[in-house]
Amino acid sequence: MRCSPGQFVVVIGSNGSGKSTLLNLVAGTLRLGAGRIHLGGRPLHHLKDHQRARWIGRVMQNPLEGTCPELTVAENLRLAERRNRPTLLAGGFLLGALGGIHPNGADRRRYRELLGDLGLPLADRLDEPVGQLSGGQRQTLSLVMATLGSPNLLLLDEHTAALDPRAEATVMALTDRLIRQFGTTTLMVTHSLEQALGHGDRLVMLHEGRLIGDWNAAEREQLDPPALRAMYGAAIVSSQSSSAPDGSSAP
Amino acid sequence: MLSLWLGAYDQGLAYAGLALGTYLTLRVLNFPDLTVDGSFALGGGTAAVMISKGVPVPAALALAMVFGGLAGFVTGVIHTRLGVNDLFAGILTTTGLYSITLRLMGRSNIPLPQTPAGILALPDLGLGLDGQWAVGLSLVVLGLILLISLLLATDFGLALRALGNNPTMARANGINQRRGLTRGIAAANALVALAGALVATYQGFADVTMGIGSLILGLGMVIIGESVLRPRSVPWALLAVAVGAVLFRTMIAIALQLGLEPVDLKLATALLLLIAFAFGRLRIPGLSADQGRQA
Repeated sequence: MRCSPGQFVVVIGSNGSGKSTLLNLVAGTLRLGAGRIHLGGRPLHHLKDHQRARWIGRVMQNPLEGTCPELTVAENLRLAERRNRPTLLAGGFLLGALGGIHPNGADRRRYRELLGDLGLPLADRLDEPVGQLSGGQRQTLSLVMATLGSPNLLLLDEHTAALDPRAEATVMALTDRLIRQFGTTTLMVTHSLEQALGHGDRLVMLHEGRLIGDWNAAEREQLDPPALRAMYGAAIVSSQSSSAPDGSSAP
Repeated sequence: MLSLWLGAYDQGLAYAGLALGTYLTLRVLNFPDLTVDGSFALGGGTAAVMISKGVPVPAALALAMVFGGLAGFVTGVIHTRLGVNDLFAGILTTTGLYSITLRLMGRSNIPLPQTPAGILALPDLGLGLDGQWAVGLSLVVLGLILLISLLLATDFGLALRALGNNPTMARANGINQRRGLTRGIAAANALVALAGALVATYQGFADVTMGIGSLILGLGMVIIGESVLRPRSVPWALLAVAVGAVLFRTMIAIALQLGLEPVDLKLATALLLLIAFAFGRLRIPGLSADQGRQA
């Protein structure tokens, strides 16, 4: 499977089809048994998950997993902001001390501006522990964190599955906006056919670890939701029904 | 009577490093570290050997911290590299440390009859030698609290706190869990070894068994400090555990005044913590039966 830079790919499939496995393999939380993973020509498969985090932002399914509840909103944002500079973050005491105190006043102003620009009320709650936020707010924060530091790839693992419909709509609107704004290549796993048909530049379907459907945005428009739902349920698609992948580069 | 309270204050401050180290492992890193039982005695033994050989006290304390840090590093490596369970990794190191400390000391007990010259040079506030110790130990503990507060406020400290709070999220944000955990445990045990060294210097002897029950002692100090001051920020939490150490020693002094036999002290401490566990006031990941550690 190949994706063009900046492409927003939505991945669907029944339970056990390998959607989350695909994301975990790319993120490095699962070890690759065979094959290779490249991001922009850079081989990733020999790197550990925390090393890949330099280029990859992730939003997890469970809002409790993607943030540190005991740390404040500003501290969580600081962690994400340093994701692409891990040497200092994981460095020794002296390096840590030389990096100064964070998040400081300048960091807070920057985060307030960022969240304010996105129209998020979190801008006024920077010093509150994340554990005090609702699930939707935590997932919103998690999404902003994942896009900080201009990652080359964004992985969204059913990131609205645990939210109520209103929070889901808010998070999906923010998802679209951030991806358009930064032009980040994105892999989004979802169980929602509405999301699959309404978001992204490309839709792929997995079944038992294999790519069994691949539609670009124009082809997706032709898809009939009931037919897709039937396909989704039966997960049997002839090889003729899938078009060739259109991408030319990683991942 | 004043001497009794002052003695408890001094002892509490000497033990504060143990409380700070326990806070660092249990509260910041979420790691129940049994190495402290071994590193406390290692610190005391190292300081006693060095001081009795004429090495200046500050250098002896620094060396004790280095050895304690190495002990913590070994536990960290055993846990993160060899995949040994956290509690068992600590037990393994502590068991080995008993022999190492005994080898280092050459015998089970080393007396230190001389009060360090640095303490004698301090003002006594009209309270004699105990007053001089109080000034010296207060300076050391306040310096430690300031240093650790600053460290935990840096990106490095933030990474350690994230690792303890949500390791999955920490790794997803580029933090090396193995390295962070190992360094954090090493730093905590350096503090614990410093406490052992200060206790040995203050009480005038080091004993190879002086570390037994240190984790429980440190835990008691952390709980008392947090219960009394209910801190909401890291610097206050560090101050709270140091205050907890003083209050803990004060409670022991009161109990001894009321007729508790010194030989029953550890039993009393264990019962106090058991009651805290039973009433649900205490939730320690890895130590509470109803709560598993996050992977």
